[in-house]
Amino acid sequence: MRRPIITTGSKTDVRLSTEPVTRTGVELTGLALEKRLKVKRSAAYVEAMTKLDAMGAVCDHTKVQELIRSIQGEFAELKPHQFLIGLVSKCYLGAPYEVHTLDMRQEIVEHYKAGQPLPSGMEKARALAMHPSYAFIEVYSDAICAVAATGYVAFTRGAGYVQ
Amino acid sequence: MSNERVISTANLNFIENSLSQLRGEVQFVSGQIESVGHEVQSVSQKVLDTQAKIDALTQDFHEFVKRDQMAKDLQLAETRVVKIRQEIETKFGHYGEVRRRVTGILQAVDVRLVKKETIENSTEEHMLAAPRYWLAPCLIALAAWLNDNKELADRAMMEALRRDDEKTSLFFALVTRRGSRYKASREWLDRYFALQDPHELEREIIILIDGFTNGIFGPEARAKCGRHIEAWIEELSQKVGFVEEQHKQWRDALEGKLRRLSGEAYPYLRKYSSTWTQLQQSLEGAKLHAIIHDYFQDIFSKEVVPAKGIAVAVDALLDTLVSKFDDEELPLRREERLQSLIIEENGDRNAAQSRFGVEKTLEEKVSFTQLLTNFAMHPETSHASLVTQKFSIALSKDWIRQAHDDMTVDNRAKVPQQIELQIDGWKGTTEQGANEQELVESLTQHIYRRRDEDLAWVKLSLKHWSALIGGLLLAVFGFGAPVLFLFAAAGIFYFFYSKSRLAKLRLKMIDDYEKLLQSCKDILRAVLSDVVDWRQEYAAEDGKAASVTEFLESVASEQYTFSSFDTARSVIQS
Repeated sequence: MRRPIITTGSKTDVRLSTEPVTRTGVELTGLALEKRLKVKRSAAYVEAMTKLDAMGAVCDHTKVQELIRSIQGEFAELKPHQFLIGLVSKCYLGAPYEVHTLDMRQEIVEHYKAGQPLPSGMEKARALAMHPSYAFIEVYSDAICAVAATGYVAFTRGAGYVQ
Repeated sequence: MSNERVISTANLNFIENSLSQLRGEVQFVSGQIESVGHEVQSVSQKVLDTQAKIDALTQDFHEFVKRDQMAKDLQLAETRVVKIRQEIETKFGHYGEVRRRVTGILQAVDVRLVKKETIENSTEEHMLAAPRYWLAPCLIALAAWLNDNKELADRAMMEALRRDDEKTSLFFALVTRRGSRYKASREWLDRYFALQDPHELEREIIILIDGFTNGIFGPEARAKCGRHIEAWIEELSQKVGFVEEQHKQWRDALEGKLRRLSGEAYPYLRKYSSTWTQLQQSLEGAKLHAIIHDYFQDIFSKEVVPAKGIAVAVDALLDTLVSKFDDEELPLRREERLQSLIIEENGDRNAAQSRFGVEKTLEEKVSFTQLLTNFAMHPETSHASLVTQKFSIALSKDWIRQAHDDMTVDNRAKVPQQIELQIDGWKGTTEQGANEQELVESLTQHIYRRRDEDLAWVKLSLKHWSALIGGLLLAVFGFGAPVLFLFAAAGIFYFFYSKSRLAKLRLKMIDDYEKLLQSCKDILRAVLSDVVDWRQEYAAEDGKAASVTEFLESVASEQYTFSSFDTARSVIQS
């Protein structure tokens, strides 16, 4: 049988979509997100975060924004809603201050006295922040990352979370 | 007016008598109620005592049932192990003959003591006796090779490959290496590697890893092995969730080393704090650091004794290859392992089951990283040598460190900040055990409040006062009828006797409460001393976490491959 020159049986439907597509990378979720959060932190980032005390008791807003930018730079793959809620670390300003926090939402650095509760769910990281093994503690909505001075990260869902 | 007076006099007498009678009856009823109250109180105390006894009995009973079940399970496991071993012997005993021939033939040929015909005849007999067994045609191929019978050797080899490709390839890789046929050995190894999927490896891969770490293969083959291992790890690490699974596997393995705290540690804290369970878990978790550190250090401090020569080393591997990894035997071997664990755990089936679950050494196919975990944590059941164990730990050190870090931060996050104390109905909290003064004051107030509440009940009641008033009235009327003096004296005596008895009772109660307070204070001080000791011990044990990290940092995998059998230097870096 001769091959038909014009095929009428099958039809290839080509549709061209004109809708704009924004490609900003795949959102990390579940284990992929956990894997990302466990990655060793860069020395520059650890250094920047451990110098919160150096700013004194009252912190300049532009400096806070610089810190927030360095956090965003460290976690470039994360979506804004996946960023940490805040950062807690031991305060070396001396008594009566015990810990200080960097609140990502309110964009402020605040120092807290012993017994004064921490806002935005950061209280659960307080005891860990006081531990000498960790430089600072990153608090996420469903996890805590304890970062050592070497940049190594210990990850936990924490005692305050449902395991 | 006169009418009013008459009515008034008559009615008052009647009412007074009636009231007096009523008062007597009310007093009687009140006395009855009081005595019933005492009865109820004593019955309620007895009920509480009985309840406590029943609780203790129930606990003893449950303990007894558990022990009895464990004893039965232990006995059953001991019987089963024997039965399973007999079954293995009955079903696969004839394989033993074939297995022994492998190294037998090789060693006989080494010293040239046995005629080639004898070897040939003997191997053919075993081919008939062990149908379906991959090793039988391997033996024929070996014998034919030794007799220079290429055609038979090829045929037998093809049959062996058909029966079990992987084991045959590994077998010939080792046999040819033993005979210093490097090229042939390399080709067999290449074939073996080509068959492997790092996600699903056969258990006998341990022979290859052991050969690699013990320096059995030549320099080129060793470099090849090293590259394959690196590539496998790289491939596995790319898969999402795989590294996390390794962390979990390692965490389970590390937590498997947890030891329960002695039942005699911190007796006061254990008895008088509702926070004890968390404190116990935290301390056990902290003590794990030292256990893990000692475990790894012990492995790395052991000296590796190399085999006397390449032939001895390969023979040992061949023995393991032919005797430990036959899938037909696997279900029975698995059951045997479970029963052995039940015996090790003294009949505790649940503990044995959980250990068995963590081991995963008798799975048919496992991933390369699971194998590394098995080699590191269960070298006996996975048949790994000491060098392989060291190599596996070194290769997995990043996963171990991460698992250990996660476990540590979890444990630290769960340490209770406030410790609850309960002593004889009193409740208090302490953080470091330093607020003794404040707690003693609170305890004293609590005991005094209870004492005052109890003392309030110990006072002269209506019946005592009635006896006194009745006695005085009778004494007045006694001038008319002297016999009433006797009753008056009895009433007044009863009043004063009761008063003195109650005074003594109050004194005794005050004294008892003082003693109770003293004893509670002593307990409180002992509990606070336990709290201080606990915090100190926890801090000391928790501090050892850093030593595990430091130790793991100091380990490097390339240090732990052994190369004593090489006569040539490794030109290509592995």
